[in-house]
Amino acid sequence: MRHWTEELDDDADEPLVRPYTITGGRTTAGRDDLTLITLISLVTAQTPSGTDATAERHALQPEHRTVLRLCARRPVAVAEIAAELDLPVSVTKILIGDLIETGRVRARPPLAFAQNGALPDMTILEAVRNGLREL
Amino acid sequence: MGFANSDPAPTAQAVKILVAGGFGVGKTTLVGAVSEVAPLHTEEYLTRASVGVDDLVGIDAKTTTTVALDFGRITISDELVLYLFGTPGQERFWFMWNDLVRGALGAVVLADTRRLETSFASIDFFESRGIPFVVAVNCFHNIRDRAPQEIRTALDLDPQVPLVMCDARERSDGRDVLLTLIEHLMARHPAPQPAV
Ligand SMILES: Nc1nc2c(ncn2[C@@H]2O[C@H](COP(=O)(O)OP(=O)(O)O)[C@@H](O)[C@H]2O)c(=O)[nH]1
Ligand SMILES: [Mg+2]
Repeated sequence: MRHWTEELDDDADEPLVRPYTITGGRTTAGRDDLTLITLISLVTAQTPSGTDATAERHALQPEHRTVLRLCARRPVAVAEIAAELDLPVSVTKILIGDLIETGRVRARPPLAFAQNGALPDMTILEAVRNGLREL
Repeated sequence: MGFANSDPAPTAQAVKILVAGGFGVGKTTLVGAVSEVAPLHTEEYLTRASVGVDDLVGIDAKTTTTVALDFGRITISDELVLYLFGTPGQERFWFMWNDLVRGALGAVVLADTRRLETSFASIDFFESRGIPFVVAVNCFHNIRDRAPQEIRTALDLDPQVPLVMCDARERSDGRDVLLTLIEHLMARHPAPQPAV
């Protein structure tokens, strides 16, 4: 596998925007189900499920479009989207929440383990081990 | 790495490993050494949990404290992506650790022999939550001045917890640290692996 240092280039820094301006002043995501590694993927069949009223309330900001672009190639974790947007995680979750509500993206939560002795699947561990050995 | 233009596999799964330890111990260095992308950086509001989300309205962005998170990515397959999160070890950041531990396979606690005490908080955290971890001693300037047993005693480490020496800048060392954790997790599985 290639290492990131092989293709270093500097991304120009995005201008600073006051984060909650982008969310229209909203500071609560309304959904607690988004974690740092919840994978966000594009819903390709463009049949937004939200009502017209919902769609209007959440008119797409440029940041929303950036999220859609980021998810276009592969499912992307919430944390990666936050890093790309250069916005705090909680603000990013609000924007992603808008896109889920309007049916543009879907979220896949991580499996629950590593707490109270619950162990991840042997299949997953073997896959990770094999992947790491190839590094 | 090329990406297919087709729909991403709907079964894609993300897992993560936490890399914890005190400030300057080499967390970001280790993440960057094994990651396929340059360490990504994001932030979360420190005040979110302490004052309540709604109370943030009207607070000037400049006065809001944020906590920085560095992370990297290793694509294992089309179905599985491993994220590595460098997590600050200080107790005041633990408000966000509940999110951090969700979906975590386990953790690596990095330690620096010159100031082992900066790793105590992380060890306590994982022990108390039953989150499996290994300890990796980052040998700055290749100084291996303390025997593993001596470090174990100083950290009051459970004999079951693996302890390895590493150079956080070396990709192969980082990989081996992660493999130690995965094998530690496998060893904890009660059922023996079926022979294939
Ligand atoms: N000589 C040496 N320097 C290291 C090593 N690991 C990290 N560093 C340096 O120590 C500093 C802190 O490392 P960093 O990864 O940012 O620590 P973090 O705060 O835990 O993320 C950086 O300047 C690194 O370049 C190591 O193994 N040897
Ligand atoms: Mg760091």
